[in-house]
Amino acid sequence: MISPELNAQVRALEHLIRTRGVGGVVETVPSYRSLLVYYDPFVVAYGALIAALRELLPHARPAALPPPRLVELPAAYGGDLGFDLDAAAGKLGLGPDELARLHAGAEYLVHFIGFTPGLPYMGGLPDRLAIPRLEQPRTATPPGSIGIGGAQCCIYSVESPGGFWIIARTPLRLYDPAAVDPVLLRPGDRVRFRMIGHAEYEMLAAAVAAGTFAPAITPA
Amino acid sequence: MIRVVEPGPLTTVQDLGRRGYLRQGIPESGPIDRAAFVLANRLVGNPDDAAGLECTLAGPRLEILAPGALAATGAEMPLSVNDRPAPRWRTVAVRAGDIVSLGLARRGIRGYLAFAGGLDLPLVLGSRATYLRGQLGGYNGRALRRGDALRLGAGRPAPARVVRAGSIPRYDGEAAIRVVLGPQADRFTPAGIATFLEGAYEMLPQSDRMGARLLGPRIAHARGHDIVSDGIPLGGVQVVGDGQPIVLLADRQSTGGYTKIATACSVDVGRIGQLRPGARLRFQEITVESAHALLREARAALDAAIQEE
Repeated sequence: MISPELNAQVRALEHLIRTRGVGGVVETVPSYRSLLVYYDPFVVAYGALIAALRELLPHARPAALPPPRLVELPAAYGGDLGFDLDAAAGKLGLGPDELARLHAGAEYLVHFIGFTPGLPYMGGLPDRLAIPRLEQPRTATPPGSIGIGGAQCCIYSVESPGGFWIIARTPLRLYDPAAVDPVLLRPGDRVRFRMIGHAEYEMLAAAVAAGTFAPAITPA
Repeated sequence: MIRVVEPGPLTTVQDLGRRGYLRQGIPESGPIDRAAFVLANRLVGNPDDAAGLECTLAGPRLEILAPGALAATGAEMPLSVNDRPAPRWRTVAVRAGDIVSLGLARRGIRGYLAFAGGLDLPLVLGSRATYLRGQLGGYNGRALRRGDALRLGAGRPAPARVVRAGSIPRYDGEAAIRVVLGPQADRFTPAGIATFLEGAYEMLPQSDRMGARLLGPRIAHARGHDIVSDGIPLGGVQVVGDGQPIVLLADRQSTGGYTKIATACSVDVGRIGQLRPGARLRFQEITVESAHALLREARAALDAAIQEE
């Protein structure tokens, strides 16, 4: 099951662990409905760790999470940047422009970052855009590609295989190994897409490469 | 300073890895066989997490530009200095102008080279480990190439050391890999679990630093191989649609959507990483408590492995 409420519980527990500090915990990995806790068994025994986490669980309240950030990502739909837009629209019985408008009109929640560096797993896709994943996953999807599949929306952060329908591309780098802080998005972020044309895409991509463009990040 | 004359098939800078970035999708990286890596560092008087080289299948040919010491451990790759055989698992003093080379692995697959003082490279997210797919850390985020120049940190003069003969792993025969079942063991039939624990699995050549791909008796799922994506621990054993296991290693994806039948114990992950294509392993179930006891024993064994000459 995937739900924003359940995911908020997971993030709230992670937040508690990170802010209070639990002896022996080395790092944590949130996902849709579970939290992976890495620990050092030379510092804390398994039983003691489980007891400590159980004690924290009732105090993990989503209301205590820090206020989310709203990140605006420019996105160019269709054409060679969103090469599955027409096919996805056909499959959904929509016009390509209608699909793009519906997609860009929604606000998305980053449930977690995973699989490859900086790749956001996002919920919030309008029901009308729910679509089965590609039957034949492609072997290489360019970074920045914005894909939909099931009830999810994701953005590829590095060139990788994938089974999502690629409807748009953002010129921003979700993962930039040369940056001090290489990963753009965080679990809990809200994401909105700003529809741009292909000419603006080229301009922004050049600005991103030159290091002169930063995304708009505001309190949600 | 060290100059790379020939890099070898896949030689990367590693330290003990980066911590705290899996939640951003960035794996810890670091040596696949940590025990062999740590011993190499200790042989040259380095801290355990000093940066050294991980060599795959065969090692590099290096020109030493300043006097120092090095040590080769891990896979049985013949070490030579100026084309004369030199001992492995032992401190080796080198002089400016020496040509050091690590040959083709005869047993095991990953060899380690540590240098007194450690490789002096910038810390990226707190570590010098190379994450190849993410082009992060190490030497410009990539494997070594011909002509690369590696700077060394200041080494303290250390006495010559040697790993006791009984502490040198052999990397041959069938490997027994101890596992703790879960977190999705309930997604397999009892027969599927029995197959996993009784069958012999063979290492496939498609394996890399992300994961060890295995081939053996098909493991039966109870209800499909897809799960709602969750975190993948080091040593996690994923069983995908074809019923074959993949053991996830240091450069693994941080999360995934396939059922995980078990987790290989930390002490045995390095052994998996030393299996050559075609080599075999068997899985053996133990409890979390036994896994931790093994970890304590392994740490004590590592501390007792080295003696001064």
